[in-house]
Amino acid sequence: MGRGTVMVQSARRRVRQSAVRIFAQEYSESSLIEQGAGEYDPSFVVTKLGAKVNRCLVGGVIDKLERREGNSGTFYSGQIRDPTGVHYFDVASFQPELHADTEELLARFESGDRFLMTMVGRARWFESEDGGVFTSIRAEDFTVIDLERYKSWLVEASDATLRRVDAYSTSLGSELDLESLSEVGVPSDLVEGMILARGHYSEFDTEGYQVGVLRALSLASGRTESLVEVTLSPESEQPDEEKIEGASEGPVETRQVIIELLSSKGDELVEYDTLVGACTSAGVSREEAEDTIENLRDVGGEIIEPRFGFFQLLGEG
Amino acid sequence: MANNGMYASQIAVVKQECPETDEEDIGNEFARYEQEFLIPPEDALRSVIRKFQAATGKEVTSGAPAPARSEKKVDRFSDLDAEDRNVTIEVAVVSYSSRIQMVKGEERQVAFGWIEDNPWDPNSNRERWDFKDWGEKSEALAPGSVVRLEGASVNEWNDKRSLNINRTTRVTVLKEGGATAPQIGNEPLSISKASEVEGFVNIVARVLSSKPDVIIRKDGSGEIPVVRGRLADSSGSIGFLSWAAFEHDVGSLVKIVGASVRKFRETPEININDGTVIEPYHDSAFPDIGELSASSKATIADLRNGMRDIAITLQVESWVQRTFESEDGSPRVVRSGDVIDPSGRCRLTAWCEFDPEPGDFIRIEGGRVQFWQGSPDLVIDQVEQVVDLSDPPWKKIDPEDHWVDLDLTGLVNGGSRRGIRTSGTVVAVRSDSGIIERCPECRRVLRDSSCSEHGSQRGQEDLRLRFVIDNGVSNASLLMGREPAEAFLGMEMSGVRDRIAGDGRDGFIASLRARALAMPIIVYGRTIVDDQGAMVLADTAELEKLDSSEAATEVMNRWGVVL
Repeated sequence: MGRGTVMVQSARRRVRQSAVRIFAQEYSESSLIEQGAGEYDPSFVVTKLGAKVNRCLVGGVIDKLERREGNSGTFYSGQIRDPTGVHYFDVASFQPELHADTEELLARFESGDRFLMTMVGRARWFESEDGGVFTSIRAEDFTVIDLERYKSWLVEASDATLRRVDAYSTSLGSELDLESLSEVGVPSDLVEGMILARGHYSEFDTEGYQVGVLRALSLASGRTESLVEVTLSPESEQPDEEKIEGASEGPVETRQVIIELLSSKGDELVEYDTLVGACTSAGVSREEAEDTIENLRDVGGEIIEPRFGFFQLLGEG
Repeated sequence: MANNGMYASQIAVVKQECPETDEEDIGNEFARYEQEFLIPPEDALRSVIRKFQAATGKEVTSGAPAPARSEKKVDRFSDLDAEDRNVTIEVAVVSYSSRIQMVKGEERQVAFGWIEDNPWDPNSNRERWDFKDWGEKSEALAPGSVVRLEGASVNEWNDKRSLNINRTTRVTVLKEGGATAPQIGNEPLSISKASEVEGFVNIVARVLSSKPDVIIRKDGSGEIPVVRGRLADSSGSIGFLSWAAFEHDVGSLVKIVGASVRKFRETPEININDGTVIEPYHDSAFPDIGELSASSKATIADLRNGMRDIAITLQVESWVQRTFESEDGSPRVVRSGDVIDPSGRCRLTAWCEFDPEPGDFIRIEGGRVQFWQGSPDLVIDQVEQVVDLSDPPWKKIDPEDHWVDLDLTGLVNGGSRRGIRTSGTVVAVRSDSGIIERCPECRRVLRDSSCSEHGSQRGQEDLRLRFVIDNGVSNASLLMGREPAEAFLGMEMSGVRDRIAGDGRDGFIASLRARALAMPIIVYGRTIVDDQGAMVLADTAELEKLDSSEAATEVMNRWGVVL
């Protein structure tokens, strides 16, 4: 028994999934996957706020883009940064129709250009053996956009996030079943996800998400100037070297935190979020932590990322 | 060996079918399916049996030489023989009830019910059989669903045939059923609830209308007398079709036990047959016929394909008549025009001498709905169905500027409509946007200069744009034909052709993406909503002007946040 459900679901008519407007923070903090049972069933990343994400619409500044060679050919991976964090995305080898456009982006990126993008993509994730989940996006449609369109996305994503925050708060006083949640006013598209999310994640303060939204809204209302420049903080070429050589104080500390944590773990893999968390609790900004990790991996080569999202010191294990 | 314990029950089933096969081999096979192919044993059962049947070089069956068990695939029950064992057929599940039965000293859940063949035929040209489910497949066999049965067997007893669904039968759900109908004997449902289910229901309702009709058999073998009409309660009204005598007057209150709800096109309908019990019902608080008729008035937004017996008030926008030659060569006249009400716009076709003036207000009783180019089309057959209204029911609507606002979620969950305005964000630009070639015969889009119907053709050039618009909760395809596309692009078709010739189709698509992706768009047009989702056919579409600062303030007000 129980298999019957599988068959019923696999026959659900395949209607296109709507694109959830979502900031990087909410998406990357998700660790719950609802896997479609049948071959063609949609799967979802379920966020803490109860969004069921199969397809999403994201935006931000290009933060990283590289061409890679895999067993089945060329693919691309990259990052888009929004006011709350970073979305990881990839363009697969079996999406040749996107390769020309991606190459164009890559050329711009490699020439040092940074630009705002919008992307529609499907939810993907990597699950580690110890249950860690790392979310990313498989690109479907993307384009370079101007600031106005980015702001418009920021507003849409803020609206959608606040709607989920509201639904989440509403759900706290309610029984976790379809009827009760509908009764207290959780929108019907969020009810299922809310039940899953509340059952999986422990209760948390939505303040963190609201801070991100407020930042986005203030950017969108034009209260913070020169968005791209702000996001593109100065650590490009030169500061990297400083960090590695230990010439500047800040980055050295960050580097130490990371190296120490990794060496204390020996050959054990340490999750990206854990590393960033250790840095932020040592008083380093999230952005600097992320940049330092990246530099240690890509430039210094002191740490390696044997599995996506998991790090160890080079030479260990 | 260790596997055998885990898969004991599945191994036993395989052993029945393939008695010569070694149990350990079977166990290993299940382990392989589970570990290497990630198929749990319940699902692997049939594949494993097939494998071992093939491995032993013959279709092994238990016991004496039985009829060959090669698969027999049929469309209709009538194609089956009494001895058929390995049957593949697609059926509609009509009912499903289960009970616990002792089988060989073991408690087992056995279920039975009705299935019908020919499940995809919208006409009721179906044969109904009993079935027994020995395989505990209740979840797949929900009433109202259409399933493919593989490996079912025919059972004949007292000259009556039925189908056995066994543990090894694979049941693939092809179309999910509606909500499961409650069992007979349950409390009556309201009509609005009954309209949402498919299967057996009991209702208490007042007869709004009732008249004898005939259904002509397609094969020419005669006519079936039926009764059609309408039933109502305070929750709504529903059409009925009675295959048995129906002797209840209009206005009478009845309790109907064991009727089935079926969909005719997109409209649910109560089916009454010999097994249905109808008895007079007494409830002095039940709304009278006047009240119920008043509430059964439809609006254009309510219209769905297949509806009958519609009462609706309309404003006529345009009216034409044309004469054509009917099949028997005699001339026939059809009159039609556009009509509007506050909820939208549709077409009205009259097969009778009805000649209103644009601007007239009319009331229609007993109208029916057909689909015309994907939109509901109201039809009247007799001029007596129309009343010319002297009192305007609403302030005259200006047809030039009559667009009904509909958000994407309402659009996707509603019926096909005309004259709507909606908005969403562009989340996909389809790569087949741009110049296309159409078949000169049928207007189908040619693929490699070839029409699926008319073969190789010299195509006629046309322009279209295909997007997907989305509001984060619901989405719809957006199709712009040549005129709206030219307006949207600010470019004639020839300009688009030149652009594609210069930049290639990919370049053209990339430029569309750069222009439209993640942009809010407002669309005026009509919608086609069906099982595949919703499509908006644009009369015009324009990107919305962005004012993010204003939008941000709106969002902050909506959710009560301040910077």
